[in-house]
Amino acid sequence: MLALAAQLATNGLISGSLYALLGVSWGLIFATTKIFHFAHALTLTVAVYAAVLAVGQWGLGLPAGFFLAALVGCLFGVATERVVYRPLRRVNATSLNIFLASLGLLIAGESAVLIVFGPQARDLPGFPISGIALGPVAFTTVEGLWLVGSWALLLLLIAWLWWTRYGRAIRAVASNRELAQCVGIDPEHVSLLVFGIGSALVGLGGMLLALRDTVSPTIGVQPVLTAFIAVFLGGIGSIPGAVLGGLVLGLAENMGGLLLPGHWQGVIAFVVLFSVLVFRPSGLLGVRTR
Amino acid sequence: MDFWLHVVNMIGLFIMLGVSLNLLLGYGGLVSMAQAAFFGVGAYAAALSARDLGLPFPLTLVVAIVVTTLLAGVVTFPALRVRGEYLILLTLAFQMVIYGLMLSWVDLTAGRTGISGIPRPRLFGKTLVTPAEFLPLIAAGALVTFAIAYRIGESPLGRVLKAMRDDETATLAIGKSVLRYKVLVFCVSGGLAGVAAGLFAHYQAFINPFSFNLDRSIFLVALVVLGGTGNLLGTVAGAILFVGLPEVLRFLQARQDIVDAIRNLVFGLLLVLFMRFRPEGLVPEHARGRRRQGVGQPAPALSGPGILPSAGPAHDGAGPALVAQGLRKSFGGIKAADELSLALPRGKVTALVGPNGAGKTTVFNLLTGFLAAEAGTVALQGEDITRLAPWRTVRLGLARSFQDVRLFERMTVLDNVLVALPQQPGERLGPLFFAPRRTAEAERRNRDQALGSLAFVGLVDRAGEIASSLAFGEQKLVALARLIATGADVLLLDEPSSGVDLQWVRRILDLIRQLAAAGKTVCIVEHNLEVVTAVADHAYFMEAGRIIAEGRPEELMADPRLADIYFGKARR
Repeated sequence: MLALAAQLATNGLISGSLYALLGVSWGLIFATTKIFHFAHALTLTVAVYAAVLAVGQWGLGLPAGFFLAALVGCLFGVATERVVYRPLRRVNATSLNIFLASLGLLIAGESAVLIVFGPQARDLPGFPISGIALGPVAFTTVEGLWLVGSWALLLLLIAWLWWTRYGRAIRAVASNRELAQCVGIDPEHVSLLVFGIGSALVGLGGMLLALRDTVSPTIGVQPVLTAFIAVFLGGIGSIPGAVLGGLVLGLAENMGGLLLPGHWQGVIAFVVLFSVLVFRPSGLLGVRTR
Repeated sequence: MDFWLHVVNMIGLFIMLGVSLNLLLGYGGLVSMAQAAFFGVGAYAAALSARDLGLPFPLTLVVAIVVTTLLAGVVTFPALRVRGEYLILLTLAFQMVIYGLMLSWVDLTAGRTGISGIPRPRLFGKTLVTPAEFLPLIAAGALVTFAIAYRIGESPLGRVLKAMRDDETATLAIGKSVLRYKVLVFCVSGGLAGVAAGLFAHYQAFINPFSFNLDRSIFLVALVVLGGTGNLLGTVAGAILFVGLPEVLRFLQARQDIVDAIRNLVFGLLLVLFMRFRPEGLVPEHARGRRRQGVGQPAPALSGPGILPSAGPAHDGAGPALVAQGLRKSFGGIKAADELSLALPRGKVTALVGPNGAGKTTVFNLLTGFLAAEAGTVALQGEDITRLAPWRTVRLGLARSFQDVRLFERMTVLDNVLVALPQQPGERLGPLFFAPRRTAEAERRNRDQALGSLAFVGLVDRAGEIASSLAFGEQKLVALARLIATGADVLLLDEPSSGVDLQWVRRILDLIRQLAAAGKTVCIVEHNLEVVTAVADHAYFMEAGRIIAEGRPEELMADPRLADIYFGKARR
């Protein structure tokens, strides 16, 4: 029983780390621009498809594939901001309308991927999968990479946000857009910046996922829903909150099986989200607003 | 032929679903990403009660409606506290939970396999099987659903819903319980989705979870938005275009998944383009011919204070109309109200003056229940109203306006005022559907009443215009007319003249004097000292959450100590 709990906790931490990465990639954009960027899912899909094609068909190495995914993700995110969201802000679209446009982009984009590349699932080849045993717990090399890769990216991002000029500018816009403008920060530039970084991160997160799961045109939605949950669980606007939210979610999904009947297993994440929104809408680390 | 009749039937079902969602989204302003979940729960309820409990057809439909209505009621309670993104996410979570349970709660739903062998309905001794046989039933369902939604949407009830959509706080401030209307619209919307659900289950004779997934919910939101929110005809147009037209594609392209993908591609792009170039949708809320209200109507006889409505019996008693004692409220370390007491003499204009940040607006919020006081009491006409919700204090005769006007921007000027009138029978489902004549008569009276309020402020000729199209000064007057329409005897005006031109200031001051002359008790928060001396009989001077002086405005203005506080004085 104890061994089982330890194994489940490990699994929880592993998937939780990836959720944290996904959460931060979306939360950074949401906190800074206030755009409910549902099409983040499309960014993930596009980035991963580009890498899968490059690795699987043109024989590109896996590390280069990761780099390509980050690059394509970044460019796609920036293009989305420039082509779709900025014109909407210009005409003072409501946040609901921006959300709907994002939804439209996602629907259209997924369908385009399906029409061009077909509905069949694809694999990301080239990663040596084997088991690793550490005392009472075991995991695969893919999961090991999830853990290491997610944390490396997370720590890098947090350090960058806290100790660089650009990072401080982002945090300034996130906390107060108008005030940041007054001290000479251009929020439009910062928007592009966060879309670039968040989208590159979700491209990398998608690649980590693709190492284990197959890739299909709808691959992006589930991870991005997970990101929403991590962000709202941790508290909007808080990067450490999104990390914590991701970890709690991973643990809840894996450990919840010990307590809940089987058919609730698949919906634990959303039950957690539902409970948070009902009982503590500000999230775990969120700032309480009146 | 059957294929086309099937398409028509599907359009009918989507009209029902779209209309149910439009009521929630377009009228109530409440985004739901869970409409497919309600649809699904209703369908399972009908399917299981028909197949396993052996209930006959019309009864299974009732089961579906009851279940979805109740479920909607349950979901409302968490949804009451949240708005915007939170509501999107909350309903999304609900959608995913329901869908997940449909998939995994195999004992009840048979999971992916779905439920087959749902009995065909028998009506008038005939078993319905083919699309042609189902057509009359589904058409009738769509017609009834549309009629119910239309009746609600275009009634006083629908007007309150739109007010709530445009500004929840202002809706509370005209005495409407936002909570009640939210629960109501969620339940009605759920129930109407239940009609579609019950018919769908019997029509298909087979259901599985995939008809009720997130994509379906997203499709419904998109359908309503593209058709036009706040206009049910738009939803009908949307259903015909976006459910019907793609079927034509099937003749050009045989593969089902490619047809769906092309449809979604076009649909998604349209959504992006519409948000940019035509956010109001195909058929806008205020389409031509719908903005006739109030225009060209003879204005009712307007003279004397008789045109001012009053809620309940007039209070002629002696003593002040409103008394507050020992109010306390702090935000963090800042004391916004500190042992604050004041009294508003009946039929007089009282002013609350003081420098920025003295806590004047906080006092209004405390008096009207928008903020809960930490200590102290408020009594209106001798009755304790300290702990009452804002909308209740309005019902008892105490109403307030806002510094930033807060009109219901997408509604007409007339509707802005009309919606504020108290006790309209058409705001309740009972009279709306079962006492149509009483409802219509009340509506006629209320309309005259509202036009009277508008005439009082001199804007009757703008009655048919959209509120947001008015100049700021005119908007302030509409807000005043709306405040008067609540029928409250005690009116709190937050900066009635700020931000408007001199000509409007004069007009507004004149109206305030007339209100007091007609017996209303008025309290104004005002920055403009000239305004205060011009209209107020009595003034309270506030600083840092306390009242530090009171008296006739001229006396206060003459006090050099107060002038120093007001204008700021360099400390030596």
